Amino acid sequence: MSVEETVREIVTRIVRRPASEFAKETTFKDMGADSLDIVQILSAVEDKYDIELEDDALTDIKDMAGFVAYIERCISENGK
Amino acid sequence: MLFKGKVSLITGGSRGVGKAISTKLADEGADVIINYFRKKSTAQETAREIEKKGVRVHLIKANLAEADKIDEMFAEINKEFGRLDILINNAASGVARPALELDDRGWDWTMDVNAKAVLLCSQRATKLMKNGGKIVNISSLGSHLVMPVYTAVGVSKAALEALTKYLAIELAQLGISVNAVSASAVLTDALKIYASAQGLGDSVYQTTPAGRMVTPEDIADVVAFLCSEQSYMIRGQIIVVDGGYSVSPESAMKVDK
Repeated sequence: MSVEETVREIVTRIVRRPASEFAKETTFKDMGADSLDIVQILSAVEDKYDIELEDDALTDIKDMAGFVAYIERCISENGK
Repeated sequence: MLFKGKVSLITGGSRGVGKAISTKLADEGADVIINYFRKKSTAQETAREIEKKGVRVHLIKANLAEADKIDEMFAEINKEFGRLDILINNAASGVARPALELDDRGWDWTMDVNAKAVLLCSQRATKLMKNGGKIVNISSLGSHLVMPVYTAVGVSKAALEALTKYLAIELAQLGISVNAVSASAVLTDALKIYASAQGLGDSVYQTTPAGRMVTPEDIADVVAFLCSEQSYMIRGQIIVVDGGYSVSPESAMKVDK
C-alpha cells in the first residue's frame, strides 16, 4: 500500500468520511477535521511508519498532497 | 534508597510532571518504565538522562485511549520485567471547550485517556503486583473547582478521584495502596500551551499562599512519599499539592502577573 493510500485510509477512518472525499487538493478543513482528529491522525501515521511528526509542520501544509509529501520525507529521513 | 529493586511504570512519564516523577523514582533506585504518546525523541532524551542514575529505563509508546494498546504495553512489561511494584497514572489529555461546545468525541477522548485508562492500567498492573504495590493517580483541582474551558478534563479528574477511592478499598486486600495527588496549575509546557491556546495570558500563573507556583518536583516528592512504606496507612486519599491555593478564596482570585 502506498503512503498516499495509507494516509487516505487513516484520515477517512478518523474523520469518518468516505474515501471518495479524499483528494490531493483536499484540506484538513475540507475533511471536517478538528484538532482532536489531527492529533489522532498524526499519532496513527507515526505508529504506522515509526516516525515522529512535528505539530508545527502542519501549519505550512496546505492539503493532503503536502501532508503525504511531508510523511514521505520523514520516512526517508528516518531510514537514513 | 526507597525503591531499590522496584519496578515502576509512569504513564506520560517523559515530559512535565511525569518526567519529574520518573526522575524522582529513579533517584530512589527504582527501575522506570516510561510510557509516552507521541514524542519519541523527547522520551529518548528523558531515558538517557535517567539512565545516568544507574537504573534500568524502558520506553513504551502507547496511546492510552485504546484498550488494545494498553494490553500490549502490559504484555511488554510482563515480558521485559515479569512484575510491577509501582504504577503512576499520570498521562492526561483533553479537549478544551466550554460545556455547551463539547461534542461526544472530545468528551470520550478526554474520559478515555484521563479516567478509563486509569482503570484499565490499574487492572492490568494489579496482576503484575505479585508482592503488593503502590498506585498513585495524578489529578487536578479542576475536579471540583471550575476553570475556563476545563469541563471535560475537570469531569474526568473527578472520575479519577472517585475511582481512586474504590480501587483503594478493593485492592487493599491484595496489599496494594491506591491514592491520588491533586495539584493546582503546575509550571509545565502543557500549562503554557493551554494558556496560549485559550488566550488566558498570565492568568494561569497562580499565586499561592506559599509564595510560588507548584513545580513538577513538588508533585514528584509527594508521589514518592505515597509510594513509600511511610504512607502505608494512607489509602484512597486525594492529597492536594497547591501551596494552600484551594483553601484560600483570596488567593484563588488573585492573579500574579
